[in-house]
Amino acid sequence: MNDRRVVVTGLGVVSPHGSDPATMFARLMSGESVVREVKFETPMTYANVAAVVDDFDPSAHLGAQLRSENIDRITQLSMAAADAAMSDAKVEIGEALRHRAGVSFGTGMGSSTAIEETHVQALTRDPTRIRPLTVLKVMNNASAGHIAARFGLGGPDLTYSCACSSSAVAIGEAYRQIRHGYADVMIAGGAEAPLTYCFFRAWDAMHVLAPIDRQRPASTCRPFDRKRTGLVLGEGAAIVVLEEREHALRRGAHIHAELVGYGSSNDHAHITKPSVEGQARAMRLALDDRGTPAEEVDYVNAHGTGTAINDPTETRALKEVFGARAPAIPVSSTKSMHGHLLGGAGALEFVIAVLALTSGAIPPTANLETPDPECDLDYVPGKGRAGVELRCVMSNSFAFGGTNAVLLARRA
Amino acid sequence: MPTTAETLEAILVDKFSVPREKIYPESALTDLGLDSLDLIEVLFEVEETFNIRVPQDGPAIRAATLQELLDTVTRLVAEAEQAAPQVEQV
Repeated sequence: MNDRRVVVTGLGVVSPHGSDPATMFARLMSGESVVREVKFETPMTYANVAAVVDDFDPSAHLGAQLRSENIDRITQLSMAAADAAMSDAKVEIGEALRHRAGVSFGTGMGSSTAIEETHVQALTRDPTRIRPLTVLKVMNNASAGHIAARFGLGGPDLTYSCACSSSAVAIGEAYRQIRHGYADVMIAGGAEAPLTYCFFRAWDAMHVLAPIDRQRPASTCRPFDRKRTGLVLGEGAAIVVLEEREHALRRGAHIHAELVGYGSSNDHAHITKPSVEGQARAMRLALDDRGTPAEEVDYVNAHGTGTAINDPTETRALKEVFGARAPAIPVSSTKSMHGHLLGGAGALEFVIAVLALTSGAIPPTANLETPDPECDLDYVPGKGRAGVELRCVMSNSFAFGGTNAVLLARRA
Repeated sequence: MPTTAETLEAILVDKFSVPREKIYPESALTDLGLDSLDLIEVLFEVEETFNIRVPQDGPAIRAATLQELLDTVTRLVAEAEQAAPQVEQV
């Protein structure tokens, strides 16, 4: 009961590349960046670039009781992704399963839109006219709570917040819930909807956002390129259904992959500066989790933010873990195309890694044109590679605060 | 000008998806699918619409039926009109 295997039986995304995983993956394979210019008119004029979820209608995902004005964008995106993942998994939550099924959710910034609207209302309009359900809209576990209510899940219902590794941690901790016998099914993942004026300004102020490439806005984010200038923000949600393997086999579920490793570490030194040692330790912990030989990792979805310091640090950590074989392992940063989903990034990139595994195809790093001597691995520049056999895939997520989370999936 | 009752009905139907055929003066709010959180929201919308303030500890918060809610809102609207008489249109 205390060392059970865990498989992925459902995938759901609401991403800047759309809400169908296969279509999203095909667009990523072609190297298509959806990063574009965004403009704010309220509360002040401001322009930047981001990867946006366009044409999203939350109404189908909220149910009859919930009014969209009481549900922040992050929760709307999360509920839609959870719907998609549960439809894909085709798992019935009956009375027998209800208390053995739960939610594990990650977000870094939470209900950005509601927080900002409340502040604007309180500080510049009428502070006595704050909407009465604002607390329920803003709280960081709003998404997890609404997902549990929607599907009737009475098991663990947990929200993790550790900046840009939040949703990778949520998936890893859900895996442990199942592995160690506390649950049989977990809806796991995360989201971010940080494209609001104040949050954008705050990221901008930190000098980590890449300045707009005026000629080619879609090429603004250039991970591992010598001319990289920073990260680009994105929004979206990604949710997976994790299930105890025997449970999935008994009900004849389609199994996308087996989650065979989770590594969690902290850099324990500086609030932002990444550490080779901390990252390498998380990768090794993921490999050692179930004794996966490093030789069997055939693709790494990198954290790959496109900042000056992340990309060479991650490169050195990969070399430390994979040694002489490191240059032969394809490593790509899909953030070059879907932007940095912050707390939602780990889950989206884990889904992409699983799709790489099941499709036998490696998505590229877009906009990588000028090699950097400090970044000297195979980053799959430009276009993806199809027709390859992948045994194991790794997804890296590293965060402000130092939390590193690494997930490892194997072909089912 | 719609009556207070008509405006309240419109709020319930348009913003809270209450079926119009369920709306009677004696309807219990719970029968309309409105729980205590919904009632707080209804009162917020009422405040916005009529430009009134519903006292935190007043009877509206304890209203069990639509008629009780309507009575309180009608009284508050009347009080507000007396306190600030409408300027005659010329």
